[in-house]
Amino acid sequence: MAEAWIRGKSAALDAAIAEAASLLAASRLPLIAGLGTDVAGARAAIKLAQTVGGVIDHMYSEALLRDLDVMREAGMMLTTPTEARVRADFLLLVGPGLIEAWPALPKRLFANRRIVWLCPGAAAKPENTYQNMVVVGDNPFDLPVILAGLRARCAGRPMAHLPLSPATIDSLVADLRKVRFGVAIWSASQHDELIIEMLCGLVADLNKGTRFSGLPLAATDNAAAVQQVAGWMTGFPLRTGFGRGLPEHDPWRFEASRLIDSGEADCALWISAYGAPSPIWKRRPPLVALTARPDTSGADITIAVGRPGIDHDAVEHLASTATLSAVRAKKPSTAMSVASVIGKIRAALPTAKPC
Amino acid sequence: MLTRLAGGRVIDPQNGRDAVGDIFIRDGRIVDAPPDGTADETHNVSNKIVMAGAIDVHSHIAGNNETMGRLLLPEQRYASDVVHPGHAPQPWGTWNTFETGRIYATMGFTTVVEPAVLPHQAIQTHLELADIPIIDKATLTVLGNDDFLLDLLHRREGPDAVRDYVAWTLATSRGFGIKVINAGGVAAFKANLRAFSLDDEVPGYGVSSRTIMKALQRAVHELQLPHPLHVHCNNLGIAGNVETALATIAAAEGLPLHLAHLQFYGYGREGPRGFSSGAARLAEAVNAAGSVTVDIGQVMFGQTVTISCDVLRQFNARNRAHPKKWMICDGDSNGAGIVPYNYRVTDFFNAVQWAVGLELFLLTKDPWRVFFTTDHPNGAPFTAYPDILALLMDRDLRAEWISRLPKEAMAVTTLTSIAREYTLTEVAIMTRAAPAKLLGLKDRGHLGPGALADVAVYETDTDKAKMFRKAALVFKSGQLIVRDGAPLHDAYGRTLSVRTERERAIERRMRDYYEERYGLSPDFMTVADAAIGRPESFETIPCLN
Repeated sequence: MAEAWIRGKSAALDAAIAEAASLLAASRLPLIAGLGTDVAGARAAIKLAQTVGGVIDHMYSEALLRDLDVMREAGMMLTTPTEARVRADFLLLVGPGLIEAWPALPKRLFANRRIVWLCPGAAAKPENTYQNMVVVGDNPFDLPVILAGLRARCAGRPMAHLPLSPATIDSLVADLRKVRFGVAIWSASQHDELIIEMLCGLVADLNKGTRFSGLPLAATDNAAAVQQVAGWMTGFPLRTGFGRGLPEHDPWRFEASRLIDSGEADCALWISAYGAPSPIWKRRPPLVALTARPDTSGADITIAVGRPGIDHDAVEHLASTATLSAVRAKKPSTAMSVASVIGKIRAALPTAKPC
Repeated sequence: MLTRLAGGRVIDPQNGRDAVGDIFIRDGRIVDAPPDGTADETHNVSNKIVMAGAIDVHSHIAGNNETMGRLLLPEQRYASDVVHPGHAPQPWGTWNTFETGRIYATMGFTTVVEPAVLPHQAIQTHLELADIPIIDKATLTVLGNDDFLLDLLHRREGPDAVRDYVAWTLATSRGFGIKVINAGGVAAFKANLRAFSLDDEVPGYGVSSRTIMKALQRAVHELQLPHPLHVHCNNLGIAGNVETALATIAAAEGLPLHLAHLQFYGYGREGPRGFSSGAARLAEAVNAAGSVTVDIGQVMFGQTVTISCDVLRQFNARNRAHPKKWMICDGDSNGAGIVPYNYRVTDFFNAVQWAVGLELFLLTKDPWRVFFTTDHPNGAPFTAYPDILALLMDRDLRAEWISRLPKEAMAVTTLTSIAREYTLTEVAIMTRAAPAKLLGLKDRGHLGPGALADVAVYETDTDKAKMFRKAALVFKSGQLIVRDGAPLHDAYGRTLSVRTERERAIERRMRDYYEERYGLSPDFMTVADAAIGRPESFETIPCLN
């Protein structure tokens, strides 16, 4: 049974779809945001954005773009969580937020190898520490300086004013050089681009003598998959707009909250099938919400959708393999998928969009 | 409905036809002329050239690596900014699946093979292929750096086990054929080796690149896959690597073997810079080895991006990235190396590479065994195809290009001495009839009754690049899909995959292996129809006999 609301009142699905389509069609620049959805939902959402000349952004683009900015400005050596599991003899955990980003990390990767955790901060709780793990540094605030120190010493250059003793740094550098296949793990939600770039530079430098790779942990709500879909469908990552026909990418211009707060986007479609709450925006243009946790107070149109991999089969980014994979529904239900709701909205659009 | 293409010059080498005549299409197939010659719809194609739809055997158009390339290079555009005739590149925002299908179709291509699918990433590749409109697709699954195979060979389990494993991998990844990329070299790089040749052994496994390649060649042959083993040799891009290519050709030992992007292995060490063309020797070896086929991987000048599962090679090339950024990924078997690169007309090495490709095209005598590729996007984007065809068909045009290139580069090649010009018939063989044969697709690449009605009609033009850039008409499976060089609408083609017979025992063995090695079920990599999200996105092709 489909559930839909128009301005807080329970409504027939068809009526809600028709109203959503007319809001999007009347908009001069519709924003399609949130994008917490499976691959089919992302494909449908991007197709819709193309049709209505809108903009696409994901709720976790900020973290995605930090890693991507380092890659597309400097370069990166990467590996997969599966290769790390079978090959790594050493893990360099960098900063906090790792277990939050991937709760299965200890179970998947912590056994049978040496681990150094740099500046875990509050994450250095007893339940997160293991016999084979050494914690180096403490305050995540020190991380940029420590990484810079490691990289400098790796290159044989002097350093000063470090929060750690020179002996600690030099001994870690010696350790890093000795590993056979090391993997550095971080979560971009915790670091700015310069920290990530310094870390990736360190990893690249270590490959002059041994093998070392990086493993960035993906943002949640299927962000990594949605970025891939955007990549193949448009040639660009998220924060891409179709207002001028061909896709254009601009991380500043097409950032969701800026578009809303500035008034440039005059209508929004918010998609959140994994249960993330609605965004807090300063302005409130006409809003259509497709959500797995309907909160009927906020949006003009709310349509309940099923959770990918729970209510319906889905293709999602799997943290354990870093691949797109087909996932069977754990509790199949009749709840509609994002893709099917958007399909209905597209079908309800007037055929020619008024200029 | 019966459609008639009336009065064009029909060039159909498979059926020995090169004459002015008609082609009839009904229900998506080529049919015999009806007794009275009348049709429901007639397209007057007099003074135009009619060929089967073209087939590309090696073009990296889909998958995680291609998309990581897109994300790495938001500034990259399709179409190399070639020195001559200097047409404008495509606008930004066109390096995506939708434009890929449209641009291919506009040039008269109707089937394209994506040649590098890592088994664990096959779902993404098939999702991307499903979003490429108009053309049909097929994929080659990459093996040869994967632990399971190397371990089988290490334990000398024998050809039956290899064959079962190959069949299982093809089935889970919905592949059409098997490719090996720097066999063992990528696994060796993970163990910190920085160079790897045909008889080098992978540390920890004690098997050589040659052993791996031969085992896969045999398995592909015994499974009777329609396409022979597709080989990316060791030592890509290195001076003196012509020896590696010659040794690999010799290793074919009379069984079918396809060598991909041969241009990148055509380098000797002669001349003042220690870098020269080895194309003449290589072409001679290809001419003599009847079971070997090659595609070229032609280089054209301009900005592009190299995307390869040869992680070792790409790691070694990362410092020559232009612009200065790159992505290297140690994957589960092979991996990814994405290195942007600018082939420059003023660069000695790039000019030699350009010449080596053309020499190989022109010195390989049999157009049924040489295939037309740029290894898109590695040598150049596929949008450069029309310019390359023009170069092959016109020696004056070649001379004009050569006059703009460094003289010392041309001096270490034989290109200036080659007078051959490809005929339209040879072009039709190389881009239509021969690839259909190489892929075992009996109803493609020709215009005989029963063939799939994939048809390209070109204006006759002395400017061959112009002629091949925008087809006058293109039919895909009988449907008119391009008119006057513009796609009319997006229909969706299919992805061809093979069905092989296999033992059920391998299923259980692979489940155990994945549980033991990865703590996972191999279901995560299995490509199911339902996951692709487009109805009837696959077509199954039987094995030979």
